[in-house]
Amino acid sequence: MNKQRRRLFIGLAFLLPNLLGFLIFTAGPVAFSFGAAFTNWDLQGSPVRFIGFDNFVNMATDNGFWLYLVNTFYFLIGIPLSIVGSLAVALLLDSKIRGIVVYRTLLYLPSVTSGVAVMILWKALYNPDFGPINRLIESVFGVQGPNWLLSTQNLAALGVEKVGFVPAQFGFGAREAILIMGIWGALGGGNTLLYLAALGNVPSELTEAAELDGANRWKVFRNVTWPQLAPTTFFILVMSFIGGLQGGFEQARVMTGGGPAGTTTTIAYYIYNKAFVELQMGFASAVSLVLFALIFLITLLNWKFGNRETTY
Amino acid sequence: MKGSFLLTLLGLIFLSVFAASLTPPPPGGKRTTLVWATDNNPVRAEQCALFNKLNPDLFVMIDPQNADSQKVIVQAIGGVGPDLFDGYSAENLENFVRAGIPLDVTDDFKKMGIDVYDLIWPTLLPGCVYRDRIYGFPRNANTNAVWYNKDLFDKAGVPYPKRNWTWDDLIDTAKKLTVRDSAGKAKQFGFYWDFGNTSDLIFQSGGRQFSKDGTVCLIDSPEAIDAVQRSRDLLHKYKIAPSPMEEAALATQGGWGSGGITFLMGGRVAMAYGGRWWLNLMRSQKGLNLGCVPLPFTKKRLYQGGGGITMINRYSPKREAALRFLKYMSEKSYNDLINAQADAISPVKKYAYTKEFLFNPAYPQEDYNEVWRFVTEHSEAPEFSPFLKGTELAPLKNQMDLVKNDLKPVPEAMKQAAIDTNARIKRSIEINPMYAKMYRELKGETP
Amino acid sequence: MAIRKRKLNLGPHIALVLLSVMALMPFIWMVLASFKELADVESPNLWPTSWHPENYAEVFRQIKYAQYYFNSAFIAAWVTFLTLVTSSMAAYSFARIQWPGRDSIFRLYLATMMIPGLVTMIPNFSLMVELRLLDSYAGLIVPAAFSAFGTFMLRQFMMSIHPSLDEAAEIDGAKPWQIFWDVVMPLCKPGLATLGIFTFMGSYGSFFWPLILVKSDHLRTLPIGMMYFDGVNGRQTNLIMAASVMSIIPLILLFIAGQKFFVKGIMLGGVKG
Repeated sequence: MNKQRRRLFIGLAFLLPNLLGFLIFTAGPVAFSFGAAFTNWDLQGSPVRFIGFDNFVNMATDNGFWLYLVNTFYFLIGIPLSIVGSLAVALLLDSKIRGIVVYRTLLYLPSVTSGVAVMILWKALYNPDFGPINRLIESVFGVQGPNWLLSTQNLAALGVEKVGFVPAQFGFGAREAILIMGIWGALGGGNTLLYLAALGNVPSELTEAAELDGANRWKVFRNVTWPQLAPTTFFILVMSFIGGLQGGFEQARVMTGGGPAGTTTTIAYYIYNKAFVELQMGFASAVSLVLFALIFLITLLNWKFGNRETTY
Repeated sequence: MKGSFLLTLLGLIFLSVFAASLTPPPPGGKRTTLVWATDNNPVRAEQCALFNKLNPDLFVMIDPQNADSQKVIVQAIGGVGPDLFDGYSAENLENFVRAGIPLDVTDDFKKMGIDVYDLIWPTLLPGCVYRDRIYGFPRNANTNAVWYNKDLFDKAGVPYPKRNWTWDDLIDTAKKLTVRDSAGKAKQFGFYWDFGNTSDLIFQSGGRQFSKDGTVCLIDSPEAIDAVQRSRDLLHKYKIAPSPMEEAALATQGGWGSGGITFLMGGRVAMAYGGRWWLNLMRSQKGLNLGCVPLPFTKKRLYQGGGGITMINRYSPKREAALRFLKYMSEKSYNDLINAQADAISPVKKYAYTKEFLFNPAYPQEDYNEVWRFVTEHSEAPEFSPFLKGTELAPLKNQMDLVKNDLKPVPEAMKQAAIDTNARIKRSIEINPMYAKMYRELKGETP
Repeated sequence: MAIRKRKLNLGPHIALVLLSVMALMPFIWMVLASFKELADVESPNLWPTSWHPENYAEVFRQIKYAQYYFNSAFIAAWVTFLTLVTSSMAAYSFARIQWPGRDSIFRLYLATMMIPGLVTMIPNFSLMVELRLLDSYAGLIVPAAFSAFGTFMLRQFMMSIHPSLDEAAEIDGAKPWQIFWDVVMPLCKPGLATLGIFTFMGSYGSFFWPLILVKSDHLRTLPIGMMYFDGVNGRQTNLIMAASVMSIIPLILLFIAGQKFFVKGIMLGGVKG
């Protein structure tokens, strides 16, 4: 018994600094959030009371909430595009040619530098009158470029006021601008590296055997390589969803202020506004819980469907 | 391993000491420093300097980056708030009082002999008095009028606006002064109209946004709808004032930024509805020839008037010093300074009826000061409903936004706004006992 | 054989060059714009008509750029240090010491890793308000210094190290504290380097927390300072680009210097999947 108690003591002694921080800044707040979501806490002096599910009801009846939820999902469109893109880049980087490390480094740059500075850069690039993007469009296609960050138009022709489709809203607008920037930043980044590693692990006997059987490059890829990559693809998919659902805050805060007319406001930005601009802490906690539940649900769904693919 | 970590730790501790030394010392030196969370208007410097001169043991400095209401509230509660801070309206004041931030100065003012009811413009009272308790002193009084650029008028050969002109006159004049290029894009607009000034139009039309007791939203009344329609038409029907997208496009040219002041200064608009305080920025521009006239009215001559109100942070340890600042704002030297600087008009009425107010020898071309006094005499404080906290105004703001961006017809939008806002009011009264009590007191019945 | 090799070589090269151009174009524009005068930025020329390196000095004059830089680096350094120390100790506890309840607590750590950061922001903020740590270096550093992810990653790493060395040291009479520092940690250098780089870069680019916590200008970090600079009156795009260039350089340098750790780090994070 003495030895076990001694081990417990040592184990906890090593763990303690991290555990304390974990409890105070992670586990504690999570529990606190669960409670706060059911109150009317607003940091402005109103006496804090339990209000049951009122926050959730208000959320459901807030038109804005649904619009922002749609926005959040809209940005998920980038996921399949960037997965395919990352895979394509990984395949290219997998060739044994000279200077491959140089290419890999250069292509990783957008990912490494991502942050406020790069968003500010893209904001300047997207300037409808003077930005190089529109200038390029004009010189190559001869038409005036879209209004990008100032436009509520989008490729799904989503309306602005209610969730729905409005044909006049078709075009390239703020959402597309952010999507394009996101894909640019993701190609050649972490996902590509993951695919590169996975490609390196594909047993060459399999690919060689297929080639000997007379399969062309595409058939080899589709029937041998792609299934071997399935676990990686699955992992990337799950992580992308988790990240994507809670994202969009920096882009909204730095580039568009959530606009125009709320079209680039995601759930994350909505929570920020409710909590730190309007000081509705209780309500914001409720929304963050809903977000958590959503992420949990979608991850579960991914697992259910995805896992079937990876175990064959 | 352990060695390198210990070394790093030592290095970090050393850096921390260095970092602490980087905290800038209070600029007041030996004097007691008062931090005033207000905006970045260049005239504040002189206003503070005058106070510092008259009170050698005190030093007031501004903190414009933390002047936002929510920041003030949170920072005050967190113990890092300012000593003095500004509010901008009755609604603003109510928010602050409910959060428990401003100091109740009713008794202090009585002791100091400051009678706000007697001293200040009536339009400023709702901004500093809440339920018969006084919470601050107004900084200035601002009502808008129409600025016009004489040079642009001369160039186009259009006669200057007359004092008693009508809306038709305004629209005609503005059309003549709107210049478009070959692609149809406007290079110059005849008018600049901040859509937020729709409230002025509502006042003019004899309509209201809310009932007097604030229990009903009246934005769907015919008068209000008419007013909002007129506002929208300036941007989208007559196209004499820039729409939000046109404004953003105009703004990116040449690093000017956007807003009526910058457009007027940059010669991009010939007329603009704005305040006398615009001169704070415009005076530095040589060669700007301006005139001003009151805005035309439809049914009655009534404008929206307001002003900044300076309040004291309840949590501040420097109460006495802060009170002296408020007293300074009620006195002649400050008020004369406001008038001379054109930081709108002095909050204390009587100082606007002086010879110095009408004619400032440093700026002889400003021959229109009487107009500013005139419009302030015909102004009323902005409306609000006490049953709606700022956040509850979202439906109204959203519909206005849609109208402003020409994404929805006005009558539909206003009807929707009224429905949603009234629902919010009803809900506030139902779930919040404080509001329920207020409602009972007002109506003498249970909600 | 020889012909086939050359054919294979050209295709990927072209594609990679195109991709690299696409990846680099925005940066090239940014650097060129940082040397232009304002009117030139808005003209159609890509190349500056006149070079203005004084733009860079002007940034330092207009805002407290040097202070922001110091703050970002200072805070990132502390956060990295604290994270490495606490995470490695915690990882050691989870990986090497058998104590009752160990696995349940570790599962708790794992569970919280799935929770979006937003959920903890609000209570953490109000905690800072209560503790009067708003607008302070401590408030910026301490909450960010305890990482469940770091612990998890180092635990993975430690578990891949054979315990035979520990056991040998234990037999020799070494105390756990000594084993930790003298046997295990030196073997963890790659893992520590990786975690260190990621933590540093993460803290350097951290945006949400400094945004809500900081009020005073002298405590701002680079991302916050630059955001305000970008929003301030009159769009001085050339200066803003200069500021952006300067803020990105450390990231690029760190990446080039620590490339192999990067690659390893992504793998380690991915292996769990």
